[in-house]
Amino acid sequence: MASYTKAAQQWATFARAWYLIDGKMQPPGKLAAMSVIRLQGKHKPVYHALSDCGDHVVIINTRHIAFSGNKWEQKVYSSHTGYPGGLKQVTATQLHLKDPTAIVKLAIYRMLPKNLHRRTMMQRLHLFPEDVIPEDIRNNLVEELAQPRRIPKRLDEYTQEEIDAFPMLWTPPKDYRKM
Amino acid sequence: MGALRVKLKGLGLRRLLEPRALWDWGRDLKGPERLLLRGIEGKIIEDVKTPTPPNPSGQCPICRWNLKHKYNYEDVLLLSQFIRSDGGMLPRRITGLCLEEHKKVAVCVQMAHRAGLLPNHRPLLPEGHVSKKPKLNRYLTRWSVRSAKPIWKRGPKWCRIPFRVGHPLLMNNINYGQRPVYLNH
Repeated sequence: MASYTKAAQQWATFARAWYLIDGKMQPPGKLAAMSVIRLQGKHKPVYHALSDCGDHVVIINTRHIAFSGNKWEQKVYSSHTGYPGGLKQVTATQLHLKDPTAIVKLAIYRMLPKNLHRRTMMQRLHLFPEDVIPEDIRNNLVEELAQPRRIPKRLDEYTQEEIDAFPMLWTPPKDYRKM
Repeated sequence: MGALRVKLKGLGLRRLLEPRALWDWGRDLKGPERLLLRGIEGKIIEDVKTPTPPNPSGQCPICRWNLKHKYNYEDVLLLSQFIRSDGGMLPRRITGLCLEEHKKVAVCVQMAHRAGLLPNHRPLLPEGHVSKKPKLNRYLTRWSVRSAKPIWKRGPKWCRIPFRVGHPLLMNNINYGQRPVYLNH
């Protein structure tokens, strides 16, 4: 901007911003894709891998994420303790009940580039199962990002006018009893 | 009295012994008058005037309203016209849908139920029944929650077992975005 001094412009360009994403009814993979871009700093034109230009990302309502398909039952998270017979395999449902932030955390960890910067970027990620955020993080937030998936309306969320405006597609026969 | 009961039983006149049930009295009456006997008022509703469909020469309601490949699980206003109050589908001979559209609507209704978009069309359960299943948000579920088993070994990348999403019957839906509809994740 023309009205800022050079020092102020430099400060604003390289400052670390805090972004907020609401994970309610969102697929964790899409949340992870959005956050990974911002944690690396790839959304900035001044990006360079060595210049540590990543931002902070806060994801709330991770308890209310939505998987498409039957992934809650089919997706398996595996880990090995290192000891023989130490393969632990847990379905997404079981893992989510044990730790509501684990699915989003693992999704982001596996999407980040596999280098030493990954751990620093994970430290700049903040996950909260509900929408309760600590005071200091809430004061830092700059922008809330748009949710990746459009949430469909439930039938009881439609107003009576909208329901009446929708025409009846078929005419019931004379002896039809409304069940 | 006991002897009389035994004698009547022998004659096969059980109907006289048992108290006549309330529903039995109204057997000769029909229509709204029968409901009057129970103390409920019956009204004869006149036919509601529906607007004319844009394609009256169609065979099924979907074709008549030009909605052939244009609906999905989230169009609850459309789907709710073809379901009963406990969530089941209405028969094809009543609604007039053609077979392929009936199957597509059934699949969309199943997906809408699993996504929780039809909360008031649940089957009747005894009061105070608390389900022990965890309430997880989901959408585009092809198979029922109880029937899906975990995929313990997905295999290497070149022969990966995919997660099936959506339904192949809805493959031909019109997609206004640039990305195609992925059924295998």
